[in-house]
Amino acid sequence: MSWQVKTIAQRTGDLLPGSPWTAALYVLLTILAVTAFVTVAGLVLIYAERKIAAHFQCRVGPMRVGWHGVLQSIADAIKLLMKEDIVPRDADALLHILAPVLSFAGMLLVMIALPMSPSLQVADMNIGVLYVTAVSGLGVLGILLGGWSSNNKWSLLGAMRAGAQIISYEVSATLALLVVVLFAGTLQLSGIVQSQDTGWWIWRAHGCGLVAFAIFMIAGTAEINRTPFDLAEGESELTAGFHTEYSGLRFSFFFLSEFLNMFVLAAMASTLFLGGWMPLHIGHFAALNGVMDLLPPGLWFALKTTAIIFLIMWFRWTFPRLRVDQLMRLEWKILLPIGFVNLFVSAACVVTGFYFFAR
Amino acid sequence: MLANALPTLVFYLLAAISLTLAWSVVTGRRILRAAVSLMGVLAASAGLYLLLDSPFLAGVQVLVYVGGIVVLLVFAVMLTRTTELLEDHPSRHRQVIGGAVALAFFGLSYCMMTAPAFANRALTALPKNDVAAIGRALLDTGENGYALPFEVVSLLLLAAMIGGIVIARKPAALVKSEAHHG
Repeated sequence: MSWQVKTIAQRTGDLLPGSPWTAALYVLLTILAVTAFVTVAGLVLIYAERKIAAHFQCRVGPMRVGWHGVLQSIADAIKLLMKEDIVPRDADALLHILAPVLSFAGMLLVMIALPMSPSLQVADMNIGVLYVTAVSGLGVLGILLGGWSSNNKWSLLGAMRAGAQIISYEVSATLALLVVVLFAGTLQLSGIVQSQDTGWWIWRAHGCGLVAFAIFMIAGTAEINRTPFDLAEGESELTAGFHTEYSGLRFSFFFLSEFLNMFVLAAMASTLFLGGWMPLHIGHFAALNGVMDLLPPGLWFALKTTAIIFLIMWFRWTFPRLRVDQLMRLEWKILLPIGFVNLFVSAACVVTGFYFFAR
Repeated sequence: MLANALPTLVFYLLAAISLTLAWSVVTGRRILRAAVSLMGVLAASAGLYLLLDSPFLAGVQVLVYVGGIVVLLVFAVMLTRTTELLEDHPSRHRQVIGGAVALAFFGLSYCMMTAPAFANRALTALPKNDVAAIGRALLDTGENGYALPFEVVSLLLLAAMIGGIVIARKPAALVKSEAHHG
């Protein structure tokens, strides 16, 4: 079964010569839809985080606003919108305002490249993986500037920790990405998904995929500053790190981009290692593949992404926070060497065609 | 008509953004704001590469310069004290050297742009521009390959990395005394 990938950008391009105004309307609608998706997904993720955290601790979590507290996030969002927006007197006001925007932009720009289904992807670039790695770097800059411009020692310390951590773990995450790029033979995200129609890379690569997946999840969790790698915010040490001085709408921008970065990480992990929107196929077993194809691709993507998000939330209540020296040792002395060896082994596998269902 | 005008419009927009931000990099008194402006300039050049149909180069530009160099720059500024970096009146010595370097760079760029060999190059057929082709060219030891420069650059990077580690390392005596004191 072959999949026809048609992105929203391509559809707009088709419209452009004949009716440019319809194309412009299309672009506008896309922007609106992405914004709406980001907002709603953010609210859902925050609710899920609170509920899952509560149940891990044998509590019930928010229960009062709506049925089982489903409207709690909306109430919180309204509260945040109505809060006073404070810029500290001695802060660099321009950079203080710019920082959350940069952080948000980094997340939003990755969002448009994610292949959610063959018909639901905003833009499908030839350099997809490179693009994702590149623009997610904007997020670090937002955090660094936010911490520096607040003119507060906690914020500065938090930002420095976050910067050092994200830069270090980016190396391992990229090495893990490269393994999949090697096997798939393309940087295009939809191409990577389609290369998995005889099986997902996590098991087709004789262990290389599994190791790369583990490295990617660890490094990714560190890159989005979540527990056990939340030294940058560590409420108990730094009172919240780089966003201590933020309030109201700007705080919610930081908060939202942090939560959606979790979604982006889960979506990237599922795209690269778990086949993205590709149903569970095993080689050329037509019967099984046919049954799996009954579920639409978009649903497969949603299921895989949700499972990984649950895994990331599970981490938070399983591992204690690392110390700074442990953090650096884990990256440079453990993950990085494993990543390099894994990359060499994968290259050997690809060159010799030694993996399941090699073409 | 609109489809043809669009790239031109985008080019002038990007050029205007680049020039404005580059001006504020040079004239800005606050070093971190200058760094942010520099980021804007580099991102705008990535946009120019996109206009020239080189998405790979644009991606690498953002990855290396915006995500790497500017982040390191901001990091270095954050580690140093900001008051020392406010330099209102550079010394005469620096002014002369700065002016000379700027003039030399301008002269070199002017000669390059107007050189006939360079100007004709744009009219000939462009080489195939995708990631696989770039990768093959980088590792090609043949006549049109870039294997030697590629290896030289990687050697340079390796040397820089080792140098960085050597500078950052604690002297052996210090490590010993720390271990002694627990």
